[in-house]
Amino acid sequence: MNNLTLIIAIPFLAALGMLFLPRREKDLAQQVAMLATGATALLAIALFVKFETGLPGFQFESKIPFAKALGIWFHFGVDGVNVGLILMGAIVGFAATCVSFDEIRDRQKEFYILLLVMIGGILGSFASMDIFMFFFFHEFALVPTFIMIGVWGRGVDKNYATFKITLYLVVGSMISLAGLIALYLQAPEPRTFNMVELAQIFRDNPIAFGQQNLIFPLLMFGFGILVSLWPFHTWAPLGYGSAPTATAMMHAGVIKKFGLYGLIRIAVPMCPEGAQNWLPLLAFLCLGNILYCGFVAMKQKDLNLLIGNSSVAHMGFVFLGIASLTLIGVTGAVLVMVAHGLLAALTFGLSGYLYGQTRTLDMDRMGGYLNQLPFIGAAMVMAMMAGCGLPGFANFAGEAMVFFGAWKAYPFVTTLAVWGALVIGAVYMLRAIRNILHGEENADNKVSLNDAADWRKRAPFALLLATLLVFGFAPRLLTSKIQPSAKAIVDAANGIETRLVEVAQLDAPAKGGETDLNDVE
Amino acid sequence: MDLHSLIWIAFLLPLAAAVAIALFTRGNRQASAGLSIGAITLSFILTAAYSVVTALNQGGAKASEITWLSVNGSAPGDALNIGLGILLDPLSLMMMMVVTGVGMLIHIYSRGYMKDDPGYSRYFACLSLFTFSMMGIVLATNFVQMFIFWELVGVSSYLLIGFWFGRPAAADAGKKAFITNRIGDFGFLLGILLVWSAFGEVSFSVIADDIAHGGNKLVGMGKFGCLPLATLAGLLIFCGAVGKSAQFPLHVWLPDAMEGPTPVSALIHAATMVAAGVYMLCRTIFIFDDCALLYIAAIGGFTALLAALMAVQQDDIKRILAYSTLSQLGYMVMAVGLNGHGEGATAAMYHLTTHAGFKALLFLGAGSVICATHHEQNIWRMGGLRDRMPSTYWTFIVGTAALMGLPPFSGFYSKDSILSAAAPWINGHGNVILFVIALIVAFLTPFYMTRLVCVAFHGGARTDHARHAKESPGVMTKPLWILAFPAVFAGWAGIDAIFADHFGAHAHYDHWYSYIVGPMEHAPFVAAMGTGLALLGWYMASLLYKDAETDPLPEKLGALGFVTTLMRRRFFFDEIYQRVFVAAHDAFASVANWFDRWIIAGLLVRGSHGTTELVGRVVRMLQTGNLQTYAAFSILGAVALVIVFLIA
Repeated sequence: MNNLTLIIAIPFLAALGMLFLPRREKDLAQQVAMLATGATALLAIALFVKFETGLPGFQFESKIPFAKALGIWFHFGVDGVNVGLILMGAIVGFAATCVSFDEIRDRQKEFYILLLVMIGGILGSFASMDIFMFFFFHEFALVPTFIMIGVWGRGVDKNYATFKITLYLVVGSMISLAGLIALYLQAPEPRTFNMVELAQIFRDNPIAFGQQNLIFPLLMFGFGILVSLWPFHTWAPLGYGSAPTATAMMHAGVIKKFGLYGLIRIAVPMCPEGAQNWLPLLAFLCLGNILYCGFVAMKQKDLNLLIGNSSVAHMGFVFLGIASLTLIGVTGAVLVMVAHGLLAALTFGLSGYLYGQTRTLDMDRMGGYLNQLPFIGAAMVMAMMAGCGLPGFANFAGEAMVFFGAWKAYPFVTTLAVWGALVIGAVYMLRAIRNILHGEENADNKVSLNDAADWRKRAPFALLLATLLVFGFAPRLLTSKIQPSAKAIVDAANGIETRLVEVAQLDAPAKGGETDLNDVE
Repeated sequence: MDLHSLIWIAFLLPLAAAVAIALFTRGNRQASAGLSIGAITLSFILTAAYSVVTALNQGGAKASEITWLSVNGSAPGDALNIGLGILLDPLSLMMMMVVTGVGMLIHIYSRGYMKDDPGYSRYFACLSLFTFSMMGIVLATNFVQMFIFWELVGVSSYLLIGFWFGRPAAADAGKKAFITNRIGDFGFLLGILLVWSAFGEVSFSVIADDIAHGGNKLVGMGKFGCLPLATLAGLLIFCGAVGKSAQFPLHVWLPDAMEGPTPVSALIHAATMVAAGVYMLCRTIFIFDDCALLYIAAIGGFTALLAALMAVQQDDIKRILAYSTLSQLGYMVMAVGLNGHGEGATAAMYHLTTHAGFKALLFLGAGSVICATHHEQNIWRMGGLRDRMPSTYWTFIVGTAALMGLPPFSGFYSKDSILSAAAPWINGHGNVILFVIALIVAFLTPFYMTRLVCVAFHGGARTDHARHAKESPGVMTKPLWILAFPAVFAGWAGIDAIFADHFGAHAHYDHWYSYIVGPMEHAPFVAAMGTGLALLGWYMASLLYKDAETDPLPEKLGALGFVTTLMRRRFFFDEIYQRVFVAAHDAFASVANWFDRWIIAGLLVRGSHGTTELVGRVVRMLQTGNLQTYAAFSILGAVALVIVFLIA
């Protein structure tokens, strides 16, 4: 078993082992979960460090048969696009386990089993090079979400939230599954689920435009629903508001990235013409996320709904980056995915901590908490600043790249997106700080709060913040890894242009040299 | 080790201090202050040493860069290369000296001013972060680096203005400063995107070379509405300066920023933050075409006048100084806009340098007064402080004289260079209207400063606090005395020659005595006008406010008394913005929220859920399990089919 396989296997094995734990061993369940996710995170960091920068192909490949007759394999590998996501997912998984200690007071064993399955599932999905397994692992991660919200969730809307999030995400999964099956059937016999082979096949024998034009929107909207693409976003704030902290952290931070990853890895390179045709629509819909959900976030009174809406808004930047179909934009989109995963986990973790202290997230009833919560408050200020795109945090680097990438193709959309990032984001993030941390203490709702005093309580937040800062100060650590892999994807997606030029070449042979140059570069 | 590593060290030291304080010395007040003060002092020494050794790199700029981000795609234009580095030329080195020099004194002064504050360590951490961010702007080699540190200056100012976050007014002021600045940054970032899309580069030197040798690539790029893109790019970049340097229409944050501790006000108003806007304009002067420069000059002139008028009727000592900063910044921005062959930028940077010194002096003096009168800021509740606080008083007088532009104080020389840049008959790039505005401001400045001095320092004490005021301790008065020196002598040092050389303009130092009488030599009329108006303003204000108990101006103006109300209420800009822009943004948000709640989540989602359930219920009614009912339905169906066929 190599490093990568271990990363995926450990959470599942830990979950399996935990099944045999006696129910009363609550502390042991926590410790096993923490040990497993901690080991996963360490291995993921090691994987990230050992990953050889500058190579476009997959590394750490391993292949274990699952159903040979059907051509389905546990086939794992990392390239520049998913190596950062796996790192982010493993770190968030560890942080989510840590923050659950104080929050989950009943049925700990079941909770940690579900959490581990969730973590293993989403990491497996990111690492899979087999389309079937890619989807299969995602369902492993998704189903525990519903159970966790239903059983350990909070608030009066818990049941409606569970119901709504389940329906939405199942519908999204089914639509994207239909798209994936349609894609699978387009390849000639003998068919394969292998992503790399499929991409090669579709590059050599492109799918007919008519089919691409049907398959791409299936994938775009199917994946889009999973990522809370406007106007299919209303499940997200409500679901996260009702979810236990760890679930919100994992789903908003990591699992949601599945749809975006699918768009970048599968939909765009395999249906390039469909992408060219449909992505302008995505570029406009992303304004729904950035502006509309930003405005909605401005009006929220509940901190979790504010964070939830802002998280939906941030997805807009990723959509815009993908829609730009430039290397700058797509690299930026991947960077935003990693940054946002860490940030969403951080903000939901902090709001969970706050809820544990105050039993309310109504911002009108808070105020002046910074004096009592120097650590949590400072972490929150930093998180909110990262959320409104402050340089120094990874989010800024990603968002800036998205703007640079999208500027030439969509100047007006980019202009509005910049407004959303710089102004609307600042308005609601600073409002949250002002209402919760600054100002005088609320006279009607005086509470005594405990700051995160020991290292165990601080560790998850410190770890997430540190990662955000590292990638914010040195985004090159990520972008230099992303670039070669993203380049292959962007070139495949823009293949339509080179083919058009090839046709033109027949008419004007003098221009041939230029095309060759473009191809070689 | 190359010599310029010194500047890298100087640049990174304050960051190291901020991090060290945040991580290790939060509990140890003395260590925090020591780290922060030590870092900036060392930065100042290193910068000074480097500047002396290399003679400010006047022979040619030096740059050193690390790659921050680099993406190179296959498609043409799909490449983005951003470095972080230091650009060392006379412009940046002079500015570094101002930032670290004035900043250092403010750091030291803060030790005394903040000594009883529970957030002492946090204060010094933020101060160091602020210094680091400002140095990042000064040393920036490219637009993106400048934007990055631009934002960091914004956030440090947010943290410092809202330092006493428990006070609602301070928390609101910090928020307002940050968001107003963000509006300016919105334009700035768009400008950077536009410039990048034309040149494929963000580096200052590459773009400047490109324009010098191949012409401005933006010129051929068409128009946006009626504005050529070349002008638009300049105006968008200028938006950044409008935010940071608090020019009209984004000037509203600066007076509110007085809610921060007074040394912070001094830092923001003198050497950092607001100076950043003017510095950025001078650094990127190559990107502005004539049309953009004209807009810039007009905005600057308008701000100078507007702010000077507002200052005339303020009662808060810090607010008066805040509006005077606004007004002086307007002067500088106007000068940049009247650039000509570099004369404007020279004058702007010259005034920026001298102003940094004497404005820091004035703010620290005001801080000393505020400390001595138990945090009283209303000048009408002071009085007679001259005798009780001699050090503060005399240094304040020196600062005031410099700000008024009286010879031979430093402000006279730099203000004179701005007036000559505006005078149309001197270099042909001036503008009559702006020249007249500049003269009016030259009259108003001494007027409101004399009012401040007369009311706060002269006459008799009006309150007990003023009566029992004591001179501040040495840690606070010594920086005042040190700052008084440049306020007197900085005009004789030929600082403008350094800038003139950098911008390719000509400085007039024909004889040895030109250093002192230069302005009278080459433009005697302008110098005489400036001095005459300054004296007139001083004379009128001292007549009006000598021994005044309340402000006599509204009465004196008679029928025009409503003008003073306008001035006092700051021409209602805050109210208008609140009613129009904030309300519009809020209305959008309300509509979106309503739509989200009732239409998307309510009608569509719950609606389709409800419809599905309703259909389910209706269909369930049919499933009775009763055989007779089913048989009846079958027969009815058969009959219906027969009828359909028969009719067809």
